[in-house]
Amino acid sequence: MLMPPFELHHPTSVAEAVDLASSLMEQGLGFDWVAGGTDVLPNYKWRINPQPHVISLAAIEEAHSLLPTSIGCMVRLDALTADNGVHPLLVEAAAKVASSLIRKSATVGGNLCLDTRCFWYNQGEDWRRSIDWCHKADCGTGADCRVIPNQNTLCVATYQGDLAPNFMVLGASVHLIGPQGERQLPLSEFYALDGMKKNVLEPGEFLLKVTLPEEAFSRVGSYQKLRVRDSWDFPEAGVAASWIPSQPESLKIASTALESIPRLHNEEVSKTLASNGMEPVAMAAAIHKAVKPVNNTALPPRYRRSMVKTLTKRALRALQQGE
Amino acid sequence: MGSYKQQPGSDASEIRRDGKRVAGKQSFPPPGSGGSEPRMRPRDLDYIPETVGGREPKPAGDHIHDRARTGTSVGKAMPLVDSNAKVTGQAWYGDDVRLQGELIGKILRSPHHYARIKSIDTSRVEALPGVIAVATGQDAPNRFGVLPVTKDEHAMAVEKVRHVGDLVACVAAIDEATAIEALSLFDIEWEELEPVFDPKLGLEDHDEPIHWRGKYHLARTNVQKRVFQEFGDRSLVNSPHASSHGTWTMSGVHHGFTEPHAVVAHWDPNGRLQLYTPQQVPHYTHRALSTVLDVPMHQINVVRTFVGGGFGGKSDPFPHEMCAALLARKAGKPVRITFDREEVYWINRGRHPSHIDVKMTADTDGRISSFDIDALIDGGGFASFGHVTSYYNGVLATAPYELGSFHYTGARVWTNKPASGAMRGHGAVNTRCAVEVGLDEMAESMAVDPIDLRLANLLPPHSRTISGFRITSNGMREALERVREGSNWSEKFRQLPLGKGIGIGCGFFISGSGLPIHWDPKNFPHATVHIQVDMDGGVTVHTGAADIGQGSTTAVAQVVSEVLALPVDMIHVRSHESDTSPVDLGSYSSRVTFMNANAAIRAAIDVRDQLLKAAWEMLGYHPNVLVLNDRRIYYKHDPSIGVSYLQALHKAQEDTGALIARGAYRSPPMGGVHKGAAAGLAPAYSFSAYVAEVDVDVETGRVSCTNVWAAHDCGKALNPLAVKGQIIGSCHMGLGQVLSEKMVYGRTGHLQNANLLEYKIPSVHEMPHVEAIIVESSDPEGPFGAKEAGEGPLLPILPAVVNAVYDAIGVRLRDLPLTPDVVYNGIEKHMKTLGLDDPLDLPSPRLEHGPLQATLEARSEAHRERDRLRQRSEDTSAYVNGVLFGFDPNRPLAEQVEGWREADEPLPEQLAELGFAGRAWLKKEQRHMGGDA
Repeated sequence: MLMPPFELHHPTSVAEAVDLASSLMEQGLGFDWVAGGTDVLPNYKWRINPQPHVISLAAIEEAHSLLPTSIGCMVRLDALTADNGVHPLLVEAAAKVASSLIRKSATVGGNLCLDTRCFWYNQGEDWRRSIDWCHKADCGTGADCRVIPNQNTLCVATYQGDLAPNFMVLGASVHLIGPQGERQLPLSEFYALDGMKKNVLEPGEFLLKVTLPEEAFSRVGSYQKLRVRDSWDFPEAGVAASWIPSQPESLKIASTALESIPRLHNEEVSKTLASNGMEPVAMAAAIHKAVKPVNNTALPPRYRRSMVKTLTKRALRALQQGE
Repeated sequence: MGSYKQQPGSDASEIRRDGKRVAGKQSFPPPGSGGSEPRMRPRDLDYIPETVGGREPKPAGDHIHDRARTGTSVGKAMPLVDSNAKVTGQAWYGDDVRLQGELIGKILRSPHHYARIKSIDTSRVEALPGVIAVATGQDAPNRFGVLPVTKDEHAMAVEKVRHVGDLVACVAAIDEATAIEALSLFDIEWEELEPVFDPKLGLEDHDEPIHWRGKYHLARTNVQKRVFQEFGDRSLVNSPHASSHGTWTMSGVHHGFTEPHAVVAHWDPNGRLQLYTPQQVPHYTHRALSTVLDVPMHQINVVRTFVGGGFGGKSDPFPHEMCAALLARKAGKPVRITFDREEVYWINRGRHPSHIDVKMTADTDGRISSFDIDALIDGGGFASFGHVTSYYNGVLATAPYELGSFHYTGARVWTNKPASGAMRGHGAVNTRCAVEVGLDEMAESMAVDPIDLRLANLLPPHSRTISGFRITSNGMREALERVREGSNWSEKFRQLPLGKGIGIGCGFFISGSGLPIHWDPKNFPHATVHIQVDMDGGVTVHTGAADIGQGSTTAVAQVVSEVLALPVDMIHVRSHESDTSPVDLGSYSSRVTFMNANAAIRAAIDVRDQLLKAAWEMLGYHPNVLVLNDRRIYYKHDPSIGVSYLQALHKAQEDTGALIARGAYRSPPMGGVHKGAAAGLAPAYSFSAYVAEVDVDVETGRVSCTNVWAAHDCGKALNPLAVKGQIIGSCHMGLGQVLSEKMVYGRTGHLQNANLLEYKIPSVHEMPHVEAIIVESSDPEGPFGAKEAGEGPLLPILPAVVNAVYDAIGVRLRDLPLTPDVVYNGIEKHMKTLGLDDPLDLPSPRLEHGPLQATLEARSEAHRERDRLRQRSEDTSAYVNGVLFGFDPNRPLAEQVEGWREADEPLPEQLAELGFAGRAWLKKEQRHMGGDA
């Protein structure tokens, strides 16, 4: 398997990285950011949307900083351990990502900006040629979506990151930096439909770090991940929940791997809290209603959707038992 | 016992201390060479059979090879002889072969499921700088295939492509990037044809069948092979006391070996082809290359590299091997082709996706009065081993149980998918699972313990199955008893809480196919081994047996070491090149250790006799009173009278130079005469019984297997470490098939998961604790009693897990693999039936023994003694399937039972009621339709 050729850049500061991006954009040259490379490089080997330039964030010192409330995009998942003062929920979630070997390379930034996945898309070039390409990697053909045919406006590839729902229920914010300057927004507003757009990053902009409010450390949480094997596999469904013990109104629930974006379910939670309190079955039913997986991962969507109930119940029971 | 110097009595005066040699004397290598240890080790009586004066127990009695035992290495756990090369990264696999000036070959593959190639224009490819050679199907029109009866493959598509990924053309270029670029420059005109994906549709007539077999073609269907077999008294099926019926859907699975296919081809300066390939069956590749390239076999040298896992997936001659040879011939330079993982899935040859239907009945005595099996298997685009698979799906279910009758209909159809083929447990795995689960279900309806049902219906050692297979050694009973005891079965079965379960499964497999594929065993042996011992005392063994990681090289080294009483590190096995290796059929049908080690023992005994004869001349004692032990030969009653191995060797070499010996193995004549009687025929059979324990998460449907007690009868464990490795590895592979692995064909017929992330092979987290239990029934014809251990151990894990899942949740599941969604779906349906809302309220199955239980226990108790006497040959009376039903084994059964049938075609009145695959018998062959086309 041969990697398509690209030029790799190693900026050593945020400013240099942004300048580099601006200059490539001015020249009309495509590029990708790379952190750990465990997501981008396999896709490149499959020749999925490879770019002529790749900017590595690895040499930017600032991106490696790891504090309990501020985690740089280059921090390896492997480093998210209790020893480093990281929130226990993030320790739990990070330990469930891929395999221990991959976690030594994979990064927080990469996991949050994970490309969306679909079994019509994550395939080699010959394979994708045999289906006449797809909407997300159409190779200039304007191909239709293969999951839901006869509509070629929306991409329904699934976001299968593990960390995002956990950061969301801890109230995390992301810091984005690009040619237009720096901005900060809640992680729950970072993701954007559809599977091709993925998030609100503007061209030339990248995710520098993610921060947690002090309040997060009074929260306890639980992350329930559904997968076939206890190693390697992306989540087929995932539910994260957190609360400040004994304060039901503080409850937050987020889900992943069920749609093109991870989602914080504030509305469903507050409605159900008002009617049924923190009753797990009712809460599970509300979250179940709010998600609509499609058939593009290993397990069928009907099953994944049913499991949202079980995962939500288990997450809530874990919170209540930890009380 | 004391120890003796290797070469006692050397005359000190002949040894000069000044480093110069005595005039006129060229000294041989120093005495005791062949090991760093200068002194002889004492005889290891623990590893010498009691029947020849040692302490090794022989519960099954004498064995013909007992007298060749020296206590050196047989029965001892030792690392495989090639393990150092592997763990230090020095083993050379297919892609490690680098020849000077190599070109990189790439294959253009079909983007269509099924299409006719109207034209191929290669001019733009040839014009690309860096492209040295281009080949298409037109360059090699000769057909090949692993079985001589079904040669339906070409190096590249000649007329049609038959699945996405089928080979269309190939290029050789100066580097990989150029070769990849060249692939986009072919101009091809296609005519797309209507593909077939569903094997059920393969039974129907089609405008354009995937292959055309002329007058033998079955109507216009895509049926490649149909089988009908019926034995016994079918009247027993009517009004049974108990029965079960299961309809199964089993996904195709792939071998998932680590090393992708890779090949290097080079035409040497003399115009001979040197082909380096990780092959399980180099000899068939050798034959196919000769056919396709139109070159005599003696002008081809097939070099088998180390094989990074095969499991049946590297046992066909492959089109890419032909491509590499064609490109190298055109280019005049070596060409290397290495597959991406996706290409590995496109060449496939994994286990057939199957629809299997199993009915069985039992009578009032708890005897199994019938097995009715129907198997429709999806062959994909090519025949591969499918002819055999079609038989194995039925006939390998005729043991280990005694049956009142047996009925099998099978059909293998071509579909526009990558070809299915042989995979570990070839053809036996899916049906075995269905049969064993059926027995579990029938036991439940009879209110008996499923282990006792099995124990009371076993064929004894030295018997004949209903289909005429000759059973020799048989450790089935011991295997069942040991897993029952080891797993604490009687305190767990049907007594565990919801979500926890325990289940049983058995297995039965051939130890070497009785019929060599390419010749009659009367005319040429199955396996041949050459041994050569030169002056240095090292023993070089030439064999064509392909070590694919199973340890066949180690087995050969061990048996030679055993016979000659030499340390294993003095035995050097050379097995890589067809130029130097005697013809061997290859590593399939679990034949290698059985046949090849038998041949090696014969050759080693020849060498031993030459050595003993020399020692006789030197010592004056007849070989009958001489003992071989650790590099020394001595007088039985006074070990101080003896010669070293080297002295005897040099004496033996006086007139002839190096000692040369050869040995061969061929199976005895056996089996019935009906059509297909040779399928499943083997000189010996292995038996196994597993108990599996599972945890089922009833709220998600996730199954995890926690413990396995795995008993396998391998006859005699030549190397217990290797046998245990095979058992544990088989558990892992079988668990993959039963819990998570499947080749997913989506809505459009494309293989959706041609990669190792989505093709879900269990990780270390999914691996249970496996208690490997070795049962040794000492096969009378096996090498030192050994039988196979490479494939049979895979069979029982599937039904053991499926039965354990039932024990845990009370739901019978018949869609493999049991992925969480399948299990949860079953749970949901069951809850609906019971009117439950919460899966945690599901009832667990329980068992109250019925009156039949005592009958079965009494019968199995009586049979235990019967089996012991037969195994020790104290009872040598004839036993054929049917004795349990009161028949006389010495008279033909057809004379004793009215309606006894032995048929290979259905009766006209049966046609209407045949199973799904049986519908293939509703069609006629072209020659019977007045057509031939």
